[in-house]
Amino acid sequence: MSELRIPGATPVAGPTAIQVARDREDVVIGDEIVRHRLSSRVVHWVVAVFFFGALLTGMPIWSPVFGWMATLFGGLSVCRWLHAWLGVAFAAAVVVMFFIWVRDMVFDKNDRKFNVIEYLRFSDREDPNVGKYNAGQKFFFWMVAGTGLLILLTGIVLWWPSSFSQPLRSISILVHDLCFIGFFAAIVGHIYLGTAAEPGTFHSMTRGTVTRPWAKLHHPRWYRDVTGDRS
Amino acid sequence: MGALQNLEIRRSSATLRGGGTGLRKLPVVSKYIDTSICIGCKACEIACQEWNDLPLSKTEQTGTYQTQPTMSANYWNLIQFREVDAPEHGLSWLLRKDQCMHCDEPGCLEACPAPGAIVQYVNGIVDVDPERCIGCGLCETGCPFDVPRYAVGTNKMAKCTLCVDRVSVGLEPACIKACPTGCLQFGDKASLLQVAEHRVQQLKEGGFTQASVYDPKGVGGTGVITILKYGDKPEWYGLPRDPKVPTTVSVWKRIIHPLGFVAMAAAIFGAIGHFMAFGPKKPKDTSRETGGEV
Repeated sequence: MSELRIPGATPVAGPTAIQVARDREDVVIGDEIVRHRLSSRVVHWVVAVFFFGALLTGMPIWSPVFGWMATLFGGLSVCRWLHAWLGVAFAAAVVVMFFIWVRDMVFDKNDRKFNVIEYLRFSDREDPNVGKYNAGQKFFFWMVAGTGLLILLTGIVLWWPSSFSQPLRSISILVHDLCFIGFFAAIVGHIYLGTAAEPGTFHSMTRGTVTRPWAKLHHPRWYRDVTGDRS
Repeated sequence: MGALQNLEIRRSSATLRGGGTGLRKLPVVSKYIDTSICIGCKACEIACQEWNDLPLSKTEQTGTYQTQPTMSANYWNLIQFREVDAPEHGLSWLLRKDQCMHCDEPGCLEACPAPGAIVQYVNGIVDVDPERCIGCGLCETGCPFDVPRYAVGTNKMAKCTLCVDRVSVGLEPACIKACPTGCLQFGDKASLLQVAEHRVQQLKEGGFTQASVYDPKGVGGTGVITILKYGDKPEWYGLPRDPKVPTTVSVWKRIIHPLGFVAMAAAIFGAIGHFMAFGPKKPKDTSRETGGEV
């Protein structure tokens, strides 16, 4: 535990938030609360990299409008080969992510009160019983898990078309397509809410920590549980 | 084969604009196959192998007069053999030349995601450009005749080209050239359909009352017209009764694709619009409320 020695500053003893965030979460360090430990963050970004890899190699196969994306990877033939492997890597990473987060993502009674329209109005009246994840985040988690499974299974059929029957291949094309469109729309929302819409959130996925006011605003029950602050 | 053939292209796979100029017109060509006088000599199979420089495949004895169990990436033309017990005519050997049907509305072309990998020339020939083919296999799902085959190793699709390299310089396809009985003919489709009608008439007079020309409308007609003695039983010849591009492929390309673009745009503009309408959600600046005390 290094001690900060900045001339004129009060020496701070003990570990910094970033050090604590390497292997622990849900702990308060000064003004910050560790929300995601390092392993969760790494897995999240591994999923993200494979997701965008699979997305960018899949879209030029989906439509010639996105043909330019194929150039990034060395052509459409490369995409056809790479897309399948990136898809498998994505699915594998999602499995790890699933087990990291599944316990936190079980819907509870309070989640029934969640109204997505009301939530998106960004009114100040936040439900005081929202825990570490709100119902929307939980829904997103299960959507990724379910759609991820579907897109993997249909992708396997499309990978080796000659090994599967015509009806199964036809259905797989449609389902794979719908999963992709769903994923695309969901990822736009996910990125938007995680960056511009809710400042401070992105930091929780990079350095692992959020500020006390952020936690109190977005996840009041989690804030109370972690800090013991009932005010 | 693409531009090498010096033929104008009518349609091109995965091409939104510019898949054909619509400048030149050529008569639609067709193969004519009279299954009633095919003697099963396989001259057309060998001619196809030779002209297209395909490695000769070892024949496989399956207990019938058929050289291979099925077509392959190196075997584009196969005389299929079937034995049927026709109620009125007794035991019958049915020989049918199997190859790409060169559909007027090709399902393979519609399903193909690689720009220009499958093209349809103005004369109706459907051709595949192996350089542009990405080996995804989607054409197999689009084809109602189970024609596309894939090269071992590269996974490139291969099929009958209707000898477009010969046709474009005024020659007939190799299989037609080799046929000793006149069972195979080649020409512009409109005239061949008249020949076919005449032949069907003869067959009907000869007692085959169900004889007909197989030129299925579900795929807009085919560039291979086949005369069947038992026209009411195309499945006896291994032909689908009413082939069409699978509904799923059409739904996918014509409905889901446009809707997909709308959904993607809606998501992006929705996020931008939401930001402008509801702004960021961030903690209130508590320091101001409490008079500077944090």
